[in-house]
Amino acid sequence: MMDGSPWTRRALAAMGIFGLAFLTVPLVIVIPMSFSSAKALTFPPPSLSLRWYATFFGDPRWMEAMATSTIVALISSVAALLLGGLAAYGLRRGTFAGRDWAEGNFMGPLIVPTIIVAIALYLGLAKIGLLGSFVGLVVAHTLLNVPLVIMVLGVAIRAFDARIEQVAWSLGASWWYTVRKVMLPNLAPSVFAAWIFAFIGSFDEVIVTSFIAGKYETVPKKMFNELILEVNPTITAVATLLIALTVLALAAVAVILGRAGKLKPTLV
Amino acid sequence: MRGQGVSFIAPLLVLMVVAFNAPIVYMLGLAFWEKGRGFTLEHYEGLLDTPVYLRVLGNTMRIALIATIANVIVGYPLAHWMRGLGPRARLLAIALVVLPFWVSILVRTYAWIVVLGNGGLVNRALQWSGLTDAPVSFLYNELGVTIGMANVLLPFLVLPLFAAMIRIDDRLLQAAASLGASPRTIFWKIYFPLTLPALAAGTLLVFILCLGFYVTPAILGGGRVPMISNLLDTLINQIPRWEQASAISTILLIVTLVIFAAYRRLDRKASA
Repeated sequence: MMDGSPWTRRALAAMGIFGLAFLTVPLVIVIPMSFSSAKALTFPPPSLSLRWYATFFGDPRWMEAMATSTIVALISSVAALLLGGLAAYGLRRGTFAGRDWAEGNFMGPLIVPTIIVAIALYLGLAKIGLLGSFVGLVVAHTLLNVPLVIMVLGVAIRAFDARIEQVAWSLGASWWYTVRKVMLPNLAPSVFAAWIFAFIGSFDEVIVTSFIAGKYETVPKKMFNELILEVNPTITAVATLLIALTVLALAAVAVILGRAGKLKPTLV
Repeated sequence: MRGQGVSFIAPLLVLMVVAFNAPIVYMLGLAFWEKGRGFTLEHYEGLLDTPVYLRVLGNTMRIALIATIANVIVGYPLAHWMRGLGPRARLLAIALVVLPFWVSILVRTYAWIVVLGNGGLVNRALQWSGLTDAPVSFLYNELGVTIGMANVLLPFLVLPLFAAMIRIDDRLLQAAASLGASPRTIFWKIYFPLTLPALAAGTLLVFILCLGFYVTPAILGGGRVPMISNLLDTLINQIPRWEQASAISTILLIVTLVIFAAYRRLDRKASA
């Protein structure tokens, strides 16, 4: 219908493939580079080695950053899941006034440019003396994760038939019992997806962390600081590990949501 | 029953008011208040008096605009091509768009140093093909920053655009063809107008995100391509001038919220 001549079709295919290549080539190039034996960033690598991985895993500062990133991501993703999950339920099932306002506010950290969140938190935390504290870091990561959790769980709760909950209540189940025995088993795949997204979101966060973390080093913060100073091939190994983590996490989400038949509404 | 369910949002609401709304209000306060004198616009007068600030502002607008246009030029054909693919190829294409979206922005920015550097893939290809003798410098200038930003933001345009395109009913296009419309007419008179709300919404979204970009200009610009965010970083972390930083942040915040409101209207229209 709109295909036109074979030439138009070929030109469109060329542009489409160019677009996909533009998106993916950088990631594809970094992976072999991380196994290079050379100190200079030349492609293709002259020969293969694991020296940059050895440097990464042998450096106590990188290992400490890894530990900090993991702990902060674990605490803040679980906190965001609990607070955001409850809120998503209240927003979808509640009847109180101001729901739109509340939801807009919860989405705030996603809408307001991250640099402004970073500056506001920097100024606020400095004012109350919590700049550079672990608590400040975890709270910041939690509120940055909240919008994603509410988006994913909001869709899932809306798709879940409210009458099923009403049946449970009418049979005498308490609210908490209904959530545990009726809602959670049904929403489990989406809850898992929301948790993974929040975990990745926190693990990759760099801007707010750079401003407020003080002496705490996370993997992205350390990576960012090193990239500004000089190009160090160890970063290629870190980058490859982060790509692997993301691919694994997304694959897990795709498998679990795919099994539950919920892949489409969550991703698009 | 009205008024139910507030208790579910209460814990999060408390956290947001304390840790998100209060700091932003405090920042606005720094931008507009002076101790002992109350409301003031002097921090804004300071902005107008300093040519550096205006230059950075202009830089940011220009880079954001170019990166957004580049996104449309690459993104629209990509989304359109994906619509015409078979189910398997389409799924693969979606995966290839979604995956970079989730990979750390640091990794994607860093990858461009490897690809665009003097010994990188692009320069080797250019020299091998004989197009250039000496390496072309893509890094640490506006070109590199623009390429990096366009790359990071492309999924934000392609995904909603693609979603709007697959909602267009094929029968509509068949009807036009059966009435004798040429492929070109069908595209410009029917298909393109139907994708326009999603395109406009995606373009605004990408533009907003460009305005607040921090990581990519810092790394690919090597300090030579300052954008608003990098200026704010300097005013907070290097020469502490918090009032000035608050004043600039407030302008950025207002501009963002205004464009976001326009985006919401278009997005509702696009998904209606």
